[in-house]
Amino acid sequence: MLSRVVLSAAATAAPSLKNAAFLGPGVLQATRTFHTGQPHLVPVPPLPEYGGKVRYGLIPEEFFQFLYPKTGPYVLGTGLILYALSKEIYVISAETFTALSVLGVMVYGIKKYGPFVADFADKLNEQKLAQLEEAKQASIQHIQNAIDTEKSQQALVQKRHYLFDVQRNNIAMALEVTYRERLYRVYKEVKNRLDYHISVQNMMRRKEQEHMINWVEKHVVQSISTQQEKETIAKCIADLKLLAKKAQAQPVM
Amino acid sequence: MNENLFASFIPPTILGLPAAVLIILFPPLLIPTSKYLINNRLITTQQWLIKLTSKQMMTMHNTKGRTWSLMLVSLIIFIATTNLLGLLPHSFTPTTQLSMNLAMAIPLWAGAVIMGFRSKIKNALAHFLPQGTPTPLIPMLVIIETISLLIQPMALAVRLTANITAGHLLMHLIGSATLAMSTINLPSTLIIFTILILLTILEIAVALIQAYVFTLLVSLYLHDNT
Repeated sequence: MLSRVVLSAAATAAPSLKNAAFLGPGVLQATRTFHTGQPHLVPVPPLPEYGGKVRYGLIPEEFFQFLYPKTGPYVLGTGLILYALSKEIYVISAETFTALSVLGVMVYGIKKYGPFVADFADKLNEQKLAQLEEAKQASIQHIQNAIDTEKSQQALVQKRHYLFDVQRNNIAMALEVTYRERLYRVYKEVKNRLDYHISVQNMMRRKEQEHMINWVEKHVVQSISTQQEKETIAKCIADLKLLAKKAQAQPVM
Repeated sequence: MNENLFASFIPPTILGLPAAVLIILFPPLLIPTSKYLINNRLITTQQWLIKLTSKQMMTMHNTKGRTWSLMLVSLIIFIATTNLLGLLPHSFTPTTQLSMNLAMAIPLWAGAVIMGFRSKIKNALAHFLPQGTPTPLIPMLVIIETISLLIQPMALAVRLTANITAGHLLMHLIGSATLAMSTINLPSTLIIFTILILLTILEIAVALIQAYVFTLLVSLYLHDNT
């Protein structure tokens, strides 16, 4: 960082070096050994699933394989232990028995409860995986349901023309009905007007008739003089008497 | 004999440099972290255990108390692993040193108490007088409660030190008893060896329990003061 400051200071001091200042940091970092390769985005090589094999929980298997061509590893181990004991490099003290008891208890515990703990840990991991799997399956199911719904919708769309035909028929019928209704109304209106004219004519004729009759009656009554009236009345009375006699005679037959 | 008995409690030095620092820094190496969801069995069980203890411990606190959760969970894990590692032969247990336990207990206790006095001074002072005391006893009781408060960090540290140290000493003594009897009378050696095995089981339990007790008490002090 300080060298970058130096470079920028040099750039301000000598303007001809300003273009060189762009190269400065690159030159600097080319001397570093970090990040020289391409960055690993994907795929990082997968982790091994199981650890290396060990014997007796401590000594890796490779150690035994390494020794087998040369010497037996158990013989080597026994020899080393006996050498350490006999030369009192390892002193048997109170600590030895403590170590024996602690290691004995540990080995007993591991042998007895080891598989249980291992299964428990596996079960925990499986639960996590099952949760994620569940989420994935639920998502897939959801999408599948959407696809099925879409398909059924498409099938329905194929049958849509029935609906349209029915609707078209309905509308044609409704149009027909309105047309006829309107036709009937027109007919009624025209008839109304014609009836009006007819009734006006009838009324006029009746009125003329009545007027004529009244006029004729009035003139006839006017034309009858008093002499004629008296003669007519006497003749009517004589006729009536005659008729009365005739009428009385009839039922005897 | 005396030299040998307490030799395991001397903080080890390598050419005059304290190796005790390295020993104290060792347990975190046994608790790997992982950025993956699915891990190996070790990490899975450890994560499950830590989740269990943290949930168990921190449910009784309010939000302010839960800010201490990292501190308390790392405390219990540190004390548990250090105690258990100390059971291995020829190892050094840092928690047998009173200096270290005081260094753990005093800041935690003082932090809890000072936090309580800063925020809720009335509640903090109310702890000095239990409810329902008859009036003439009050002055004496306040003094007794004050002493009981001030002795808490010492009690924390000394409890842990004494328990672990006593356990280690007992193991050593009975081990040397078996060593001595092994040349004299073999069947009694076996009896004493059985006692040693039982003691080892007890020590494992004590190691875990002491961690739990320490952390529980600190969390109790925290609960009182939040």
